[in-house]
Amino acid sequence: MTAIIEADGLQRTFGDVRAVDGIGFAVEEGSICGLLGRNGAGKSTLMNLVMGQDFPTAGTVRVMGEDPVENARVLTRTCFIKESQSYPDAYRAKHVLATAPHFFPHYDRALAERLVADFDLPVNRMVKKMSRGQRSALGAIVGIASRAELTLLDEPYAGLDAVARHVFYDRLLEDYARHPRTILLSTHLIDEVADLLDHVLVVHRGRLEIDAATEELRSAAATLVGRSADIAAFVAGREVLGREWIAGIASVTVAGLSEEDRARAAQSGLEVTPVSLQQLIVRRTGAPAPEEVAS
Amino acid sequence: MTAVPAASAALIPAGRRVWNVARLQFANPWPTVITPWLVLFGVHALTWSIWAIIAHYAGPSLEADAFRYAGGVSWLVIYMMVIAIQAMNATFRFALGFASTRRDYYLGTLAFFGIMAVVYGAGLAVLAGIERATDGWGLDGSFYAPAYLYNQPLAVVGFHFFALYLLFIAAGTLVGAMFVRWRATGLYAFFAGLLLLGVLLVWWLVGSGASAAAAFFTESPIAVIMAWTLPASAVLAALGFLVMRRTPVRG
Repeated sequence: MTAIIEADGLQRTFGDVRAVDGIGFAVEEGSICGLLGRNGAGKSTLMNLVMGQDFPTAGTVRVMGEDPVENARVLTRTCFIKESQSYPDAYRAKHVLATAPHFFPHYDRALAERLVADFDLPVNRMVKKMSRGQRSALGAIVGIASRAELTLLDEPYAGLDAVARHVFYDRLLEDYARHPRTILLSTHLIDEVADLLDHVLVVHRGRLEIDAATEELRSAAATLVGRSADIAAFVAGREVLGREWIAGIASVTVAGLSEEDRARAAQSGLEVTPVSLQQLIVRRTGAPAPEEVAS
Repeated sequence: MTAVPAASAALIPAGRRVWNVARLQFANPWPTVITPWLVLFGVHALTWSIWAIIAHYAGPSLEADAFRYAGGVSWLVIYMMVIAIQAMNATFRFALGFASTRRDYYLGTLAFFGIMAVVYGAGLAVLAGIERATDGWGLDGSFYAPAYLYNQPLAVVGFHFFALYLLFIAAGTLVGAMFVRWRATGLYAFFAGLLLLGVLLVWWLVGSGASAAAAFFTESPIAVIMAWTLPASAVLAALGFLVMRRTPVRG
């Protein structure tokens, strides 16, 4: 495996707020990696640090083996599209699209034109007059058409409707298959992107909560549905990530089920279903935080 | 995991990266290139009309240097300073979002405004030439080379505007960099610094410098005075870069 991004002990504080609080991870070259987490978890700050747009309080980040800050060797091989990207006031969408090829050496104009049609983007409209979804579409078009070796997409489809989001997923995957690259994608629409991702990084309150291959993560837990009494007998002594009851029926998400366990559960009349990535992450990051203990 | 081997060179050579940023500022030429000339010609037309009215009613009693002190050009330098500040605010985050380094961004922005200084310096010199060739637009007026420029060669007129532009643009890029880095706090700091400089200058003038300063400004040729603004502009531009190179991208 070859790491295109390596972070070690990365920290960024704003006053008292620890936006990124000691994060270390590696992103494999050629993978599609999801950076997941709730709003304010530190996803955008982390991406800003990776792209040298912000400066770490402590720790290091290396992109293509080098410090990304002020490093044209690294940056000319990257594309970073974010929800909050600002555009000059006087720009229309066509100005943005005309400018992009100068900055991204692998940019494909023909692809960009097709994407403009797919997203139905009004290219003559002033960017500042565009809706949030149209601005997102503009960013997504540049992000896909730039074909940068490393593409970072920070909440790239905020404001896009479900149809446009699926256009985005389809086109991204289609072009990725033809022109492989590394993609780091942040989002909180976890289930929508789950099938896209090779690897998942989950950030919670500035810390890295999960760093795992998607498959590994999915098989790490399962949901069991059955009669409450059977469920209670089966899960005794196991790590339960969540439970729900309706009348006499219980649904329990359990960590660490082996093949044997699954077979045994099925024999006891319990239904074993795969846990959704979203449920799993909600369970791991959604619980009320324990009281901070003063050190 | 092993690391991806480091790239040997940037995919876009340095000169083109800087030029790319300069081109960003041209993408919509209206505020920087077209509007100022339109406004300038508008002001010129108004000024000329007023001259014509005065000349008509004053008749032969009009003094020879009546139309020599128009201020219709000087607003341009302030306008360009404001444009420089606005441009930094508008394009910094955009350029960094398009994978520019701060260094390339700053150099490209300076290059753009440097070109603007040449264009405006040359343009105003040409207009001053037309002004002289047409006997001051037929009314012995001096709009493009007023006051102390009236007797100067056209090359000095052009250099004067070029250097003046550079000075205001360098100040504008410094203010712009401070605003982009520290927002309003940066502006307060800049104007507090400017105020302090002003107080120090007055203090020096009142003390011993008044006669020396007066001698410098009255005895030196315009070209020499303007040449002395070049190092000042360079210092302002360098300060701007120091501010810019550690500026995070916000928002």
